[in-house]
Amino acid sequence: METITNNCTINIATANGTGSQSANLIILQTLFDMGVNVSGKNFFPSNISGLPTWYVIRVSEKGYQAPGDDVNIQILMNKATWMKDLESLEPGSVIIYNSDVKLPVERDDCILYPIPMTKMARTIHPKLARMISNVIYVGVLAEILNLDQEVIELAISKQFKGKDSAIQLNLNAANLGKEYFQENFKKQDPYVIENRGKDDDAFLIEGNEAIALGAIYGGVSLLAWYPITPSSSVAESIIEWVPKLRLDKDGKSTCAIIQAEDEIAAAGMIIGGGWAGGRTMTATSGPGISLMSEFIGLSYFAEIPCVIWDVNRTGPSTGLPTRTQQGDLTLLYEASHGDTQHIVIIPGTVEECFEFGWRAFDYAEHFQTLVFGFSDLDLGMNKWKATDLKYPTEKMNRGKVIHTQEQLEKISNFGRYRDVDGDGIPYRTLPGSGLAPILYRGTGHDEDGVYSEDPEVYRNMMMRLRKKIDSARTILPQPLFREEVEQEVGIIYYGSMETTIQEIDDILEDTGMKVSQCRVRSLPLSPAVEKFVENHELIIVLEINRDGQMYGILRKELPIELVPKVHSVAYSDGLPPRGNVYAEKILEKIKDVQK
Amino acid sequence: MNIKLNVIDLPKDDYKGGPSSLCPGCGHDQVSNVIINAAWENGIQPEKIAKMSGIGCSSKTPAYFLGKSHGFNTVHGRMPSVTTGANLINKDLTYIGVSGDGDSASIGIGQFIHAIRRNLDMLYIIENNGVYGLTKGQYSATAEIGSRKKKGEANMSQPIDLCAVALNLGCTFVARSFSGSKKQLTALIKAGLSHKGMAVIDIISPCVTFNNNDESLRSYGYVKENSNELHVVDYIPQRAPIEEVEVPAGNYRDITLHDGSIIRLETIDDTHDPSDIVAALSSLHKAEREKSHVTGLLYFNPNVETTSEQLNLSDTPLSALNEEDMRPSEESLIEIIKNKRG
Repeated sequence: METITNNCTINIATANGTGSQSANLIILQTLFDMGVNVSGKNFFPSNISGLPTWYVIRVSEKGYQAPGDDVNIQILMNKATWMKDLESLEPGSVIIYNSDVKLPVERDDCILYPIPMTKMARTIHPKLARMISNVIYVGVLAEILNLDQEVIELAISKQFKGKDSAIQLNLNAANLGKEYFQENFKKQDPYVIENRGKDDDAFLIEGNEAIALGAIYGGVSLLAWYPITPSSSVAESIIEWVPKLRLDKDGKSTCAIIQAEDEIAAAGMIIGGGWAGGRTMTATSGPGISLMSEFIGLSYFAEIPCVIWDVNRTGPSTGLPTRTQQGDLTLLYEASHGDTQHIVIIPGTVEECFEFGWRAFDYAEHFQTLVFGFSDLDLGMNKWKATDLKYPTEKMNRGKVIHTQEQLEKISNFGRYRDVDGDGIPYRTLPGSGLAPILYRGTGHDEDGVYSEDPEVYRNMMMRLRKKIDSARTILPQPLFREEVEQEVGIIYYGSMETTIQEIDDILEDTGMKVSQCRVRSLPLSPAVEKFVENHELIIVLEINRDGQMYGILRKELPIELVPKVHSVAYSDGLPPRGNVYAEKILEKIKDVQK
Repeated sequence: MNIKLNVIDLPKDDYKGGPSSLCPGCGHDQVSNVIINAAWENGIQPEKIAKMSGIGCSSKTPAYFLGKSHGFNTVHGRMPSVTTGANLINKDLTYIGVSGDGDSASIGIGQFIHAIRRNLDMLYIIENNGVYGLTKGQYSATAEIGSRKKKGEANMSQPIDLCAVALNLGCTFVARSFSGSKKQLTALIKAGLSHKGMAVIDIISPCVTFNNNDESLRSYGYVKENSNELHVVDYIPQRAPIEEVEVPAGNYRDITLHDGSIIRLETIDDTHDPSDIVAALSSLHKAEREKSHVTGLLYFNPNVETTSEQLNLSDTPLSALNEEDMRPSEESLIEIIKNKRG
């Protein structure tokens, strides 16, 4: 039998709350530390204990990070999904299952490794048998795939850092699994892992933690938040890191953290803090954005800097709280009633989560407006490979703030909302300064901030606001391109689709097509996107939602003569994108168009 | 002419605001004047005050006092959260929030409650008239059972007593007063401005325009029905403010409002111990039973940490920190990454 090296998809089916996540992360960390390309995705329920959960590990020599289309190795631990998991496997798949579960495994066409995991776990610790049985499959898998023993040991000690008895318990369980396989089976499957030598710079980090660290290095001075999946770990990481990184010489905190009573209050707090001169942020998901909408309009109209991170989950309404989507894009771009338009920055990698984490404050204070960071559950809650988090290369941009009477006097005809420089961005003074005080308001106001319903005053104010946001197009993170010389098909995509685009591109290019890519990293759109559209014969806008939200924005903003060659491929089923699924949709669309 | 100066040598004019656009005779304007007096008499630098409000008639008033202070007229019912954020970023300012019964007892009651719960360091004034003025006369959640709005339908829901709510939440300063009781109100606002923590003052401030009923001879409805030349829907009667009223401790007086209705104000007894929360609550319940309003300082506890103290924030207001204080060193990031690489 020919061996298949460093290419397989492993699906681990367990129940939520059984401690399987630790076991799965040990596998992920071991593979990562062996220097192979690996990604791990958690498909978990909106539940604390009992409901089914799957962890999918993809090892790919080509570096593909999306879950593979077919499972090669299935680990069966959960009665509830047992039959369905079995049915979905292709012939020839490997099935490692807990033979203490009294359920049939009628798949003679597959390679079966029955392991009495519960009984074995009881020999180690009767009370913790359910949890320990998870680590037994780690040992079995290690033996099957030929994982390095010392790397596993290191991964276990990393996972249970400092808890010696837990480390020992888990080491014993893993070894027991290994030995059982050695004594009872002969390897019949082709899958092996070869150590490729770990890149010393590489490490794993979740997008949410990267955003949190970015915010801390961006000088966040107020985090106001309300718990919501999948964004909570942004706030929880800030809570974890602030005491280590943001204490002053007296040991007091330079970043206030407050758990608000709801998302509305969280939005109010960051606007109040931004008004008072702080760098303020919240992290939430779609339902939170819906609740914050009124305040978002206030920030836009009263021109108050603050930052909101939306870690998108599947909507609408409560939706699928533990599934991913790019379904909030248009909501963010035009949130709140009346004419509004907001800056949205869209990281596609964990390195960018960090970078945009600190840059968000610079943009907010420079443009004196709310800035949205747009991530999603897939990028935010899974661990991804990074090689560096680059320390901010620029000094903080605190925007046009007047601190002294002298500065104020230098500006002729100062008014809080008067565009004296012609760039659409006025100067502001801070409460407590005594300089040019006004009553900020969400009601109509003139250039001095005084209440006004004058038609011309209103119109001018709204046009200046548009000019201000428009001016961000060339300053925000610019799109990244991978362009072919032929310039046939151009794919415009954004955010977490980055993790799958290489695989999609390879599938498409296998058909002989030449495909360029443009990853949009901010709204409002950069003029470079228009150029990309101009240069290609056919444009596909690829995204993880039903209606093609970025496509809609492009249709609205591109010159009308370019619109006919722009086509939408939008698909969302709650799962992270799979290469084949999206590549097929693109091929179908192109076929349709060319008819 | 000799201009009278306060302890920091400022004239009272430095504490005034723009002209009011409320209905003539509105009790809210009396409250604004008391705020001006109290801040001047307390000798607070105007620029060290921040004026906060939500939406409604009362929330418009920060434009009419303390013109040298920054202010923020926010959104309906959400003044407490905006004030919370501002306070955490600059804890050294004196925050005066002005709200109404629509703002604080209905749409924003959650934020009202949570700001109290956190003992946010601010003076929280409620100008309470039992009615939505700006939308022309709908009931608010503080209107009494049986009271009639101008179209004659009686309110059948229980009123919310915001002082009782505040007391039950352990608010550290709770008072009730009347917009016409200038002397009492000045004393309470001065005390509230000095209080470290949440000071709630619920001020009965009758609406001259909408808080009346058709049976009243001086009601909006009556005037409309009986005067041909006044058959316009936006007719606002021109009225004088309610005259000043002072009620000695332990006594009561019946006050006739613009619409002819009478409210009974009873100043809390000299023997009331403001550290006794049970006595404070029982005085509210007793007044409710007797259909009167008990006024004065009901409860006071100066020994509770404020929000920013609970969070152990830097002594320097966070708004005054510079880049070196806000951005950790490059070495610290290198260390984090080193640990992650393992």
